[in-house]
Amino acid sequence: MKLQTEVLIIGGGATGAGILRDLSLRGIPSLLIEKGDFLSGASGRNHGLFHSGGRYVVSDPEAARECIAENRILRKIAPHCIEETDGLFVSLPEDGLDFRNRFIQACEETPLPARLLSREEALSLEPGLNPDLLSAVKVPDGAIDPFELVLANAKDAAAHGARCLLHTEITSLLVDGDRVKTVLAKDLTHGEEYLIEASYIINATGAWADQLLKLAGLRIAMALSKGSMLITNQRLTHRVINRCRPPSDGDIIVPNHTVSILGTTSVRLEDAENFEVTPREVSLLIRETSRMLPAIEETRFIRAYAGIRPLFQSGEKGDDRAISRGFVLIDHEKRDGIKNLITITGGKLVTFRLMAEKASDLLCRKMGIEVSCATHLNTLPSAENPSGLKDRLKTLGKVDTLCDCELVRREEVEEVLREGKLKNLQDILHRTRLAKGTCQGGFCVYRLLGMLNELGLTEGNPNKILKGFLEERWKGIRPVLWGSALKEEELIEGIYKGIFNL
Amino acid sequence: MHYDLIIIGMGLSGLMAAKTAAGDGGKVLIVGKGMGCLTLFSNTIDVLGKVPETTRLRDGLSQWIQDHPEHPYSKAGLTGIEEGLSSFTSLFHPPYSFQTIGDGNCIIPTGAGTMRPTYLIPETMVAGASDKEKKGLVVGFKGFRDFYAGYVAGPLNWRGITLPLPEPPGQEISAAALSRWMEKEPFRKTIGQEIKKNLRGETYVGFPAILGINDPIKVKMDLEEKIGVGVFEIPTLPPSIPGMRIFNRFKEWLIGKGVNFISGYSISKASLKGKRCEGVYIHHPPVSSFYSADRFILATGRFIGGGLVAGRERISDSIFNLPVSQPGPQEEWVGKSFFDEHPIHRMGILTDSSLRPIDETGEPILENVRVAGTILSGHHCLDEKSREGIEIATGYWAAQWGSKYK
Repeated sequence: MKLQTEVLIIGGGATGAGILRDLSLRGIPSLLIEKGDFLSGASGRNHGLFHSGGRYVVSDPEAARECIAENRILRKIAPHCIEETDGLFVSLPEDGLDFRNRFIQACEETPLPARLLSREEALSLEPGLNPDLLSAVKVPDGAIDPFELVLANAKDAAAHGARCLLHTEITSLLVDGDRVKTVLAKDLTHGEEYLIEASYIINATGAWADQLLKLAGLRIAMALSKGSMLITNQRLTHRVINRCRPPSDGDIIVPNHTVSILGTTSVRLEDAENFEVTPREVSLLIRETSRMLPAIEETRFIRAYAGIRPLFQSGEKGDDRAISRGFVLIDHEKRDGIKNLITITGGKLVTFRLMAEKASDLLCRKMGIEVSCATHLNTLPSAENPSGLKDRLKTLGKVDTLCDCELVRREEVEEVLREGKLKNLQDILHRTRLAKGTCQGGFCVYRLLGMLNELGLTEGNPNKILKGFLEERWKGIRPVLWGSALKEEELIEGIYKGIFNL
Repeated sequence: MHYDLIIIGMGLSGLMAAKTAAGDGGKVLIVGKGMGCLTLFSNTIDVLGKVPETTRLRDGLSQWIQDHPEHPYSKAGLTGIEEGLSSFTSLFHPPYSFQTIGDGNCIIPTGAGTMRPTYLIPETMVAGASDKEKKGLVVGFKGFRDFYAGYVAGPLNWRGITLPLPEPPGQEISAAALSRWMEKEPFRKTIGQEIKKNLRGETYVGFPAILGINDPIKVKMDLEEKIGVGVFEIPTLPPSIPGMRIFNRFKEWLIGKGVNFISGYSISKASLKGKRCEGVYIHHPPVSSFYSADRFILATGRFIGGGLVAGRERISDSIFNLPVSQPGPQEEWVGKSFFDEHPIHRMGILTDSSLRPIDETGEPILENVRVAGTILSGHHCLDEKSREGIEIATGYWAAQWGSKYK
């Protein structure tokens, strides 16, 4: 099938969806192609920190400035995706106060609103903190729901005429002279092939940026850095807790809905596809984060996961944390003589909108048109899903609930299905909180498949899908199997291997 | 209070031990936090599902015992297993009896539309097992989250229908609630009529395993009369109503025999003297009471039951701190695939052939304690499909041995 578009955006992470929305608001027709679902890469695999910029204020003031500016904009345009928790940068005896003093000074220079709290003040805000702490600095960190954020961007873009093809992979970029002339893509579900003619192409594939450019015979130097995280069974603090020291492993605890996420590690990788959380990382995360919050030693974990930070290399090799977390925008006309190709990669979730704005500005300059960005002015459509926990609790026992851990209602899933275009189980799980709670889908995914069967939406034997899900789920659970998590697992195995004999 | 025997754990192995000891006329106390895995998984009695249906189970077991000298079955021996099983079945008088199909394993349909091998099945499941070629209609209930008729029927090439409840339930539609409604004649009448209208030549109707808790045979026969064809139950997600029936029957019988029950409380501490256990403290917050006995049986189950506790590096026994076989470092506890046979499930308490706990050198640790059920090491009950068989055989054997040498 032949497709035509003014702009082809490749990659359905926060950056790609952000560009799709930006262009649609500027009235430029565009098509987004993503080989998985939205947020299949780093956008969906991070700790959900809504940065104030505090984490970069000492090492990378420019990135910190971008963060705080975008922090303010997102609070206005995406309030339903953000929980304004505030964050503390906690100093422990072994950290000393040198870094803290530099931190406070850097906050003043940036500027970034920060307030020094005494030990007593910090403990009264977060009684679970290590009582040996020296002091804490309060900054406007928060928690962000990347799924809501990206889906709301895509939704707004669609409302303004933009198109998306999910589960579709780019197979060739055919270069003719100084342009990418045609693009070939393949629908991974049905096998259909597309021949796409686009005047401009934006590569927003994050960790896969170099891999995509190879199709056009180009290369960029990127470092892939794996960051691993652990999810606790309950929320441990109200605020984001950071360690007040130079960025290193296990220095952050981010509250997220009903859980907390402990992060992160930094391990250099060669391959963006096959990676897992190692036992060493699990021990490291528990050891380091429990220095800030001693209860972590005894807490129950429900899952471990990892994401890949796409880091652009300016040349030297060295500590990945020293490579800028700022973003990179490449005009391949200047760099490689390819006139209609732009690459944008790196950056942070919280700066996705700015990245989209800069990429779209560059595109407009190349197209020779002058339209300004509007993404910071218009509020994102508030998605229907995130009726808060209070609303969910009100409906308890009155409506059909598929998932008891996260109180996901059957009608909520039916609503997601009505919106359509979902191709597999993971697509549904991405758009609801199913399988995100304590049992990690041990009960609700069977129920979901039963419901899909009732609605006539499953093809073939649903147990194949169920088995695939159980294997996928296993990857996240395996690293944290002890204590109560192991009990739960014995139950789940008893059901699927025992009662159901799968 | 002093007893001849205190049994710790109220799952199937503890109940079997209690039955065996009470049958001997001993003064028995059974203490448990809950009903063990009975109400989770035990819909039928698995003995060794690995044995093909075409093989006599007895032959399969003999071979198994020869090949696996450390397995709990080898400790109970073929006689122990068979005596245990017949002691179990003797408790369930017809019409709600447990039976075999032929002399080997049979296969029954499950809530995922798969077939699973098992050995003893209650009368309410017999019609689902006896003939694979039959044409079945599977019935589910709208709003019951743990069973989906179409899902079950599809892979079996049967047909499924989902019925609305006769009137709005006003509460969650759980397996327990459905079981209670099933015991009401007007409820059966309405759904019976509805099902009869929906029959398209099917000769059997399969329900989730919720055909009443107290008198499932009455429910089954009444439905058969109303619908006009045979009716059977299909096991699905926990809780297990058939497991509750087993528990209730044991409890009724044991109380009749004078066995004392303390349920809902756990043992906080055991009092040991040399190689003997003198008694246990039962914790009823805020106080603990001391109960002494001549003999003890530990039947606390694995991780779900709380018998075994896994820290980040080691597995331990929660009551006597007995030696537990260890699976190596945590990353080796389980396989890469969910469906692997995970090494951790083979770990458990080490015993000699009389189910007495021993240390790594084979020396008995506590002379008057026996261990029964899935907490024992050397089995893989999930993959072997031997859970209930191990519970019954070792529960029986632990109590037998103790009383003989009293």
